[in-house]
Amino acid sequence: MSNNRAVMALLDRAEVDFTGGKRDAAGAALERALRIEPRNPWLWHQLAQVRLSQGQYAQAITLAKKSNSFSGKQHRLQADNWQLIGQSRIGQGNTAGAEDAFRRSSDLAQQSQAENGAAATSVTGNLN
Amino acid sequence: MKLPSLQVPEFIRKIKFRMPGRTVRLIALLLLLALSGYTYYLDTTIREAFEGRKFALPARVFGRALELYPGLKLTRERFVDELKLLGYHEKPDPKEPATFTFTLSGVEFTTRQFKFGDGTTPSQHLHIEFEEGAVSLLQEHQASDVDVPLVRLEPPLIGGIYPGHNEDRDLVQLKDVPKQLIDALVAVEDRKFFTHWGIDPRGIARALFKTVTGQRIEGGSTLTQQLVKNFFLTSERTLTRKANEVLMSLLLELHYSKDEILETYLNEIFLGQDATRAIHGFGLASHYYFDKPLDRLDLQEIAMLVGMVKGPTVYDPRKKPDAARERRNVVLKEMVAQNVISQQQFVATRDKPLGVMARAPSGTSPYPAFMQYVHRQLQRDYRDEDLRSEGLRIFTTLDPFVQQQAEEAVQKRLAALEKARRLPADTLEGAVVVSSTQTGEIQAMVGGRQARYAGYNRAIDTQRPIGSLAKPIVYLTALEDPAHYTLITPLDDSKLVWKQRGAPDWKPQNYEKTFHDKVQLRVALAHSYNVATARLGIDLGVERILDKLPLYGIERKPPPFASSLLGAYGLAPVEVAQMFQTFADGGFRTPLRAIRAIVTADGTPLQRYPLNVEPVSAAGPVYLLTAALQGVIREGTAVAMKNWLPPEMNVAGKTGTTDDLRDSWFAGYTGDRVAVVWVGRDDNKPTGLTGASGAMTVWGEMMKAVQPEPLDPVMPDEVEMANIDPASGVRYDDGCAAGMQLPFIKGSAPAEMAACPVVSGGEGASVTDGSGKALQVQPDGKSVVKPAAASEGGPEANKKSWLQRLLN
Repeated sequence: MSNNRAVMALLDRAEVDFTGGKRDAAGAALERALRIEPRNPWLWHQLAQVRLSQGQYAQAITLAKKSNSFSGKQHRLQADNWQLIGQSRIGQGNTAGAEDAFRRSSDLAQQSQAENGAAATSVTGNLN
Repeated sequence: MKLPSLQVPEFIRKIKFRMPGRTVRLIALLLLLALSGYTYYLDTTIREAFEGRKFALPARVFGRALELYPGLKLTRERFVDELKLLGYHEKPDPKEPATFTFTLSGVEFTTRQFKFGDGTTPSQHLHIEFEEGAVSLLQEHQASDVDVPLVRLEPPLIGGIYPGHNEDRDLVQLKDVPKQLIDALVAVEDRKFFTHWGIDPRGIARALFKTVTGQRIEGGSTLTQQLVKNFFLTSERTLTRKANEVLMSLLLELHYSKDEILETYLNEIFLGQDATRAIHGFGLASHYYFDKPLDRLDLQEIAMLVGMVKGPTVYDPRKKPDAARERRNVVLKEMVAQNVISQQQFVATRDKPLGVMARAPSGTSPYPAFMQYVHRQLQRDYRDEDLRSEGLRIFTTLDPFVQQQAEEAVQKRLAALEKARRLPADTLEGAVVVSSTQTGEIQAMVGGRQARYAGYNRAIDTQRPIGSLAKPIVYLTALEDPAHYTLITPLDDSKLVWKQRGAPDWKPQNYEKTFHDKVQLRVALAHSYNVATARLGIDLGVERILDKLPLYGIERKPPPFASSLLGAYGLAPVEVAQMFQTFADGGFRTPLRAIRAIVTADGTPLQRYPLNVEPVSAAGPVYLLTAALQGVIREGTAVAMKNWLPPEMNVAGKTGTTDDLRDSWFAGYTGDRVAVVWVGRDDNKPTGLTGASGAMTVWGEMMKAVQPEPLDPVMPDEVEMANIDPASGVRYDDGCAAGMQLPFIKGSAPAEMAACPVVSGGEGASVTDGSGKALQVQPDGKSVVKPAAASEGGPEANKKSWLQRLLN
C-alpha cells in the first residue's frame, strides 16, 4: 500500500484505533498519513471506510471517488471503492444508485481478475 | 469602603450609663465585631480580586507538528531551525528533553513529551541524519539504537487566545517560568517570600518609622503586598492604605498557597506602558521587550525584566537604556550575593547589551495574520462560552517554514521592485496565502509587508478586482462541453462591442491593445486575451458562468455584467486560493482550513475539523484546464517563471492585472501547494506592475525556497492524448515526431489524421517552441518529451536535474 514506513506505521495505528472503536482517532491517523502521501489512493480508500462506518455517507462517497482519481489502473482498488460507494448509497436510501455502483464494482473486479489471473484476491486492507 | 454610621439605640446608652463594667466589655465586643466585620469585608474584597485575576488559562494555539521520517525532504539547517523554534537548547549530552547537539552529519536530540489531540507522544532520545536534502536515518537511542519509522515533534506554540479578557495577555504557569527568574525576583524584591506570612514586620517597622518621623512614605513591601497594591492601583499613599494592604496581604496568604500567589504576581505585575496598552505580567513583557517567550530568555534579559519591577517607567529600556542597564546589573549583582548565579556568570553577562527589540511587536503571536484567520474560524464555529473552557489547545495548520519563506519573499521582492522601478519606498503592499493541494490546509498567510505586526490583513480583508484570475472559470465552463470546445478550438479575438441593459456598451481590449483574429483556446488563455475570453464567456452565458462561483467557494456575487467575465469584481486573496485549490485538486473542493482540532485541557477532543471534500467539477475538464494553465507558464504571460522554477516543475498558474496596473495577481499550483499572491497599494493607486512583473515574482521567489513537488496530475479515464500540430491544430499520427501531445476528452480530438511532415535532419528533429526545446504539454509530465528529442528524458531524469540544481 505504501513504500513509506511512516505511512505504514500510521495505517497500523489507524487500524488499531478503528478496531478499538476510536473512529475519530483512526481518521486523524489517516489524515496524518495523507499529509505524507497525499496522492496515495489506499489512504483515501481507508478514510472513506472510516467515514462510512461513521455514517457520513456523502463524505464516504466523495473520498472513494477521490481514491479512484488517484488509482490509475488499479482496478481491484476501484472495485472496492465502488463497493463502498454502493454501501454508502444504501445508507442514503438510494437503492438504484447502489445497484449501479455494485454493478460497476463487479465489472471492475472481473476486469482485475482477468488481468491478474484467477489467483488475484482483494488487496485492499480492510479496516474491519 | 464607607461603613454605615451606627445609630446607637436609646436603651444601649442607658445600659452604658448604669453598668460601667459591662459597658466596657460591650464596647470591646462591638469594636471586635466591627473589626471582624471590616476584616471580613477586606477578606471578600481581596479574594474577589485574586480570583478575578486568576485568569482562566488561555487557549493555546499551536502550529503544525513536524513529522520526521526517513525520506522526508529536510535539511539539517532547517531541522535545527525547527528545534530552536521549539525552544531546544544546544547541549553536549542531550539526554534532557528539549536539548540537542550536532553529530557529524546529523543531530542528536531529545524531544519533550507532548499531549496531542489523539494521545500523548513520549519524550524520545533520537538521532537523525541527513543526506542530499532528505532525512536518511532516524533512530531512537535505547540499549541499542533502533530505527523508528516516524517521529512527531512537538508543535510550535504560535499564540494564545484569551476569551473574555483582553486578548493581549500572555499568561504563564509557574511551572513554565524559568527558575532563574523566580530566584532573581525573590533575591531582589522579597528574600523571605517563601517563609513570611505575607508581610515583613521589620520592613513595616522601618516604613512606619520613616512615615511617623515625617520622612517619605516608602516600601518594605513583600511580593504579596506588591500584588495587593497592583490589584488596587492608586498612587495614594496613606497609613490607612498601608494598613489595609498589610491586612489584605495576611488574608491572602491565609487563603492561598505561595505558588498561587507567586503565579498571580508573575502574571499581574505592571511592567510597562505601550501607548494605551498596559503591559502586565512577565509573559507579555518578554514578548514586548524581547519578542520571544519567557522560557527562551537569557540570564541578562531575565535580570532586566526583574529590575523593571521597581519602576517600569524609570527603567524603561527603550527610553532610558542606561538606567535600565545599570538596574539590570544591580539585579545581577544581587543574584551573585544570594548565590543564585556564580561570579563567573555575572562577569559573563554584565557587559552584554540589553538586547531589547527597537520596535515592540504589536501582539504576542509572530503570525498575526494567520492568528486573525484562526480567530475568525473560531468565532464562526463556536459560541464564546465554548471557548471559555480553561486551557483549550488549538492545533492549527501553520507551517512556520513555509510562512517564513512567504514573508521573506514579500519583503525581498517588494523592496526590489520599488528600487528597480524607482517607486517611492514602502508604497507597495502584498498578501500571500499558501495551502496544501489535497488537504486544503493553510500553511502560510501573509497579511502585509510588515508581517510581524498585526493590522490590516490584506489576505482576508482586502477585496481587489481579480482581473484575469477570473478567466479559468470561463475556460473550464467551455471545456466541460467537449462537443463544442477543446484546447485547440479556435476562438474569435477580433474587435467586440457588447451592448447590455443597465451598463454602458462594453468594448473589451487586449492588454497590448491589438486583436488576434482566430486563436486556439489554450493560446487565448496562455496569453490572457481579453476579447477572445469575453466573446467565449458571452457565448456560454454570463450568468451560467457567474452562477458557478459558489461551487468554487466564492460566496460573493459579482455584478451580472459581461465585464465580470474578465474579473471586474473584488475578491480577497484567500477566496482566490479556494478557487484555485479546486482546480489544483482535480475538481474536488476542499474548504480551506486553518484548524485541525481543538482539545480541552484534559485531552478530550472538543472538536475535530476533519478533511471535507466535495466534488464540484468533473476530473476531465479540470485536467484540460490544468494543461492550459501550464501553458501560461510555458509559453504565455508567466513565461518569466523560468527564472525561479525549472520547466520540469510543470507549474500551472494565471497572472492577473487590473485597469491602470492597480492590482498585480498571481495564482498557481505545484504538485503539493496552491498559492495566491496579491501586490498593490493600499491607496489603490497604479503600481506600474502587471501580474507577471509583480505578484508572479513573489510567487516564484517563495516557491523556489519551499522546494515544491512537480505538478503531475493523474490523467482521468475520460481523457486521452493526441498528437497535435501546435500552429494549425491538425492531428498527426502518434508516431509522428512533429506535433505535441495535448489532452482531449475522449472522442473530442480531431478524427482526421494529417500526413506527418517530413522533417530534415533525421533523428532528434521535432517541433520546437523557438527556444530549441521540444514542446511538452501533457500535464502529467510522463512521456513528456518526444522520444526523438530526448534520449534520456522522462520524469526521473527531470527530477534529478532539479535536485542537482538545488544542490549546486
